[in-house]
Amino acid sequence: MTWLHWYLLVALLLFCIGLYGLVQRRSLVAMLIALELMLAAVSLNVVAITSLSGRSSSVGQVVAIILIGVAAAEGAVALSLFVAIQREVQSINVENLSELKG
Amino acid sequence: MNWTGFLFGASAALALVGALFAVGLKNIFHNILGFALSLVGVAGLFLTLGSDFLAIVLLLVYVGALGIAMVYAVMLSQPLDAPRAPRSLPKVAGAALLAAAVAMALWAVLHRAHFPPQAGALEVTPQFTGFRLLSDYVLAFELISVLLVVAMIGAVMVARKDRSAAARKAPPGSP
Repeated sequence: MTWLHWYLLVALLLFCIGLYGLVQRRSLVAMLIALELMLAAVSLNVVAITSLSGRSSSVGQVVAIILIGVAAAEGAVALSLFVAIQREVQSINVENLSELKG
Repeated sequence: MNWTGFLFGASAALALVGALFAVGLKNIFHNILGFALSLVGVAGLFLTLGSDFLAIVLLLVYVGALGIAMVYAVMLSQPLDAPRAPRSLPKVAGAALLAAAVAMALWAVLHRAHFPPQAGALEVTPQFTGFRLLSDYVLAFELISVLLVVAMIGAVMVARKDRSAAARKAPPGSP
């Protein structure tokens, strides 16, 4: 196990914890938290690989910055959607959002 | 044990414990605190990789902005003392099984992967990042700024109270 493998192992565990939370939780905000954890794990992965292997480490920095920007945009839109859903349905529990079930 | 190894261990432990708090605890505020803790750990991991600028940006955006926004969304939405419906055990077990299976599959690939050592100069300072962003990756840089503007305007539009519709629906005098 090299250093890079340790970093990738931490990112892997972080990603899978996030995946578990995304599937298991029912509150939309909790699901968003899990999703952001997964995104953070991905950017950790990219930065670790490009800093410890290969030859262009600045590409990883650029990718990570763009990932953080996308995560921020996604979080803003998601949270405002949650507020709108709460106003409409009086709940942000996903099990109550079954209007489109058919 | 050297200094970088210690920082790596502490940050990794912080990231994983925070992530477990963020996912496992029942109270949504505790989840947000665990999320912030976990991102502090990830920022520490970035520090051990030499990317101090990324660590700062991560702290600012995730812990500072996103954490606060989440707290606001929670306060605007669910009542904290509302009773929660019990979670059925098979669903929780299924979620844990899925996560464990994905972890096993990724680890099976990862533990025998071979990575060549770092060959070029380590270019992780903000100078190099800024140079790259404004030369080779200028399209991505511009796109991300457009995306942020669109997301911000969209968020305001979606979360805005539609006063005209509310005024039409509600009888006069009611709050």
